[in-house]
Amino acid sequence: MNATAGAEPPAAAIGCGRGHNLGRALHAEWTKLRTLPSTPWLVVAAAAGTVAASAALTASVDTSLCPSPLECHEDTTKLSLGGVQFGQVAVVVLAVLAITGEYATGTIRTTLAARPHRAAVLLTKAAVVTATVLAAGTLGVLGSLAAGRAILPGNGFTAANGYPPPSLADGPTLRAAAGTVLYLGLVALLSVGVGTAVRDSAGAIVTVLTLLYAFPMIATLITDAQWHERLEKLAPMTAGLMIQATRDLERLPLRPWAGLAVLAAYAGAAMLPGVVLFATRDA
Amino acid sequence: MATTTADRHAGGDSRDSFGRLVLAEWTKLRSVPRWALAMLAAVVLTVLVSVLAAAGNSYGGGGPGLPIGPDGRAVRDQFYFVHQPLTGDGGVTAKVLSQIVVKGESREWAKAGVIIKESTKPGSQYAAMMITPGHGVRLQSNFTTDRAGSQATTTPRWLRLTRSGTSVTGYESADGANWAQVGAVQLPALPRRVEVGLFVASPFAIKVERQFGSGSVRASPTSSTARFSDVVVTAAQPGQPPPWSDQAVGGSDRVPGPLLGGASQAGGVFTVTGSGDIAPSPQDVDGVRESLTGVPVGVMVIIAVAVLFITSEYRQGMIRTTFAASPRRGRVLAAKAIVVGASTFVVGLAASFASVLFALPILRANGLAAPVFQVPSLSDGPVLRAIAGTAAVLALLAVLGLAAGAILRRSPGAIIVVVVPLLIPQLIAGALPLAAARWLLLATPAAGYSIQQTTAQPYDFVSSICLPEDGCFTTGPWVGFGVLCAYTAVALAAGFWLLRRRDA
Repeated sequence: MNATAGAEPPAAAIGCGRGHNLGRALHAEWTKLRTLPSTPWLVVAAAAGTVAASAALTASVDTSLCPSPLECHEDTTKLSLGGVQFGQVAVVVLAVLAITGEYATGTIRTTLAARPHRAAVLLTKAAVVTATVLAAGTLGVLGSLAAGRAILPGNGFTAANGYPPPSLADGPTLRAAAGTVLYLGLVALLSVGVGTAVRDSAGAIVTVLTLLYAFPMIATLITDAQWHERLEKLAPMTAGLMIQATRDLERLPLRPWAGLAVLAAYAGAAMLPGVVLFATRDA
Repeated sequence: MATTTADRHAGGDSRDSFGRLVLAEWTKLRSVPRWALAMLAAVVLTVLVSVLAAAGNSYGGGGPGLPIGPDGRAVRDQFYFVHQPLTGDGGVTAKVLSQIVVKGESREWAKAGVIIKESTKPGSQYAAMMITPGHGVRLQSNFTTDRAGSQATTTPRWLRLTRSGTSVTGYESADGANWAQVGAVQLPALPRRVEVGLFVASPFAIKVERQFGSGSVRASPTSSTARFSDVVVTAAQPGQPPPWSDQAVGGSDRVPGPLLGGASQAGGVFTVTGSGDIAPSPQDVDGVRESLTGVPVGVMVIIAVAVLFITSEYRQGMIRTTFAASPRRGRVLAAKAIVVGASTFVVGLAASFASVLFALPILRANGLAAPVFQVPSLSDGPVLRAIAGTAAVLALLAVLGLAAGAILRRSPGAIIVVVVPLLIPQLIAGALPLAAARWLLLATPAAGYSIQQTTAQPYDFVSSICLPEDGCFTTGPWVGFGVLCAYTAVALAAGFWLLRRRDA
């Protein structure tokens, strides 16, 4: 473990340089992830699905039902990014399969034989998956905003009516866009954590989707305002997506970043037992 | 005897061998401890979420807000009343010169006409002949009875009510000379002395406002004005006619003062302005559906088990053994569908019955009670339909999951293609325009949940809000259920076809 080992290719090849070790671990995880037959499809689905769903949602809402366009009070940025609610499904599957796929095929035993430090294995895997998802999410978010800019004026949301096209130069819109990408990254971390704990793709996917979707669905059925708000604050998806709000922030149960922090707490709470179980259980 | 046994072993008796196939599949399902646990968890989760959600629900204000009608139910009884007492038999006739909705958009059911009412106390008995801008001439009585007269919505129109004992008869006329009887109603408890006269009402304008991510329903008061002439009260007992008096019946603090209305008389022409409505209180909370809140959670577990019931065989290669033992693959899928469907139905029945059983009393304690709300009882037909229907929806979704598993052969994909079209519509419906939301919740597998609807809108003469995300489907409970059946049938057929064509 000498400090210069990282600079010497031969030493790195033997694998005694810590820096290179991490680099190689990341590279190994990246190779495993990208060579899964499902990964390219899921990355495309995450990005394209988000854009397509955003475009469909944006196209279905117009000003014709409001007394006047101004009175729609529509958050056009949030509307343009609404497709994330669909696109995240591909993210969940991608992230879950990255870990449960190894269990299904038994590769996990080879992986751990090659790199016995288990917590590091899981964290590198999580890092690679999250980075992939952040890249796909960036494409999806940019595409959604572009689709929104193209569709919104046709539905009456014009600058003249008080709805300037969503632009990244605008602070709240930038926050919404960057926050949505981070949201997808946190969903990926949550999925990796649950996948590690459950070790079965069907079980993990159903668990994450229930966590994301069932909460807000129950919230819509609750009539008591106080409980409704509590559920909205507690639900990982509803709270996390508060980052997309660009107007009427005072009506939100949580500040945008606080909402994203709720999701981060869920991701952390899933990763922690994931790491512990991964480190202590037989593979 | 020996030949029979041999025949059976060779699979000669096809009906028997299908029975054995079903038994074999049942053994596979019940012998995986994880799945049995998951099914149990589905029941527990469903009931738990339903009960917790019920505990978090409250239905503000039972009694004081609304008056109680003759049948003990809450009603709306608010209008402007120009009246004089009438003792014994008699009647009232008036010519409605014009009817204008002054403020607000809710034109359809603005009411102007003549009325015979037990007293000026809100909720008391009445019979009324009225003209409405949207629905012509109507004879209505005691809040729940409505009879249509002519479709005439143009003024002037002559209206008449006559009382004879407990019977009140309504007439209408275009010219005041040729009268047509609209109908007769019985008001058994009508006292001898009643109030008769003119009335004007104008229901709240209900506006559904939906913004992406949130929706709200706003009711704002409206008022309408009508002009009457040729007002004649006939009494069987001769004597000096008592003077007219006027008042706003059932004035509520939700209505701003000027909107409560008023009346003036000049040269035999009465101008009356009124606000409010005389109608049953709409039933917009579906208690049974509210007590089944946990179902969308439990269904996730059930779909996972149903998908794994076939995809795990593919993963372990067990499917080849299965097909070697029973080469007719379509029958294997049929047996699997029967087993997973029937067991899910039983599990679902336990979950939905227990949910309603435990959650309904909690909802009742939280204010979902008479007289404002109709209290559902476990023995009501629609309630039983909702409970059994929920179990059937779960069974159909399980079979749909199985079919998706047979088509895709991998669990992640199969779970996603069933779960996403089921969850997303329910989730985003509340944010879409009403027409899009209705379409979405009828065109996707989520439509099956419409079977949980127990409050049909019983009174079509009250405009009410029917939001699909609140479980109100204008098409009734069965259409959506049929849509889910169709999805399941198509998926199963595709599964059959692919299983027979493909290598295992």
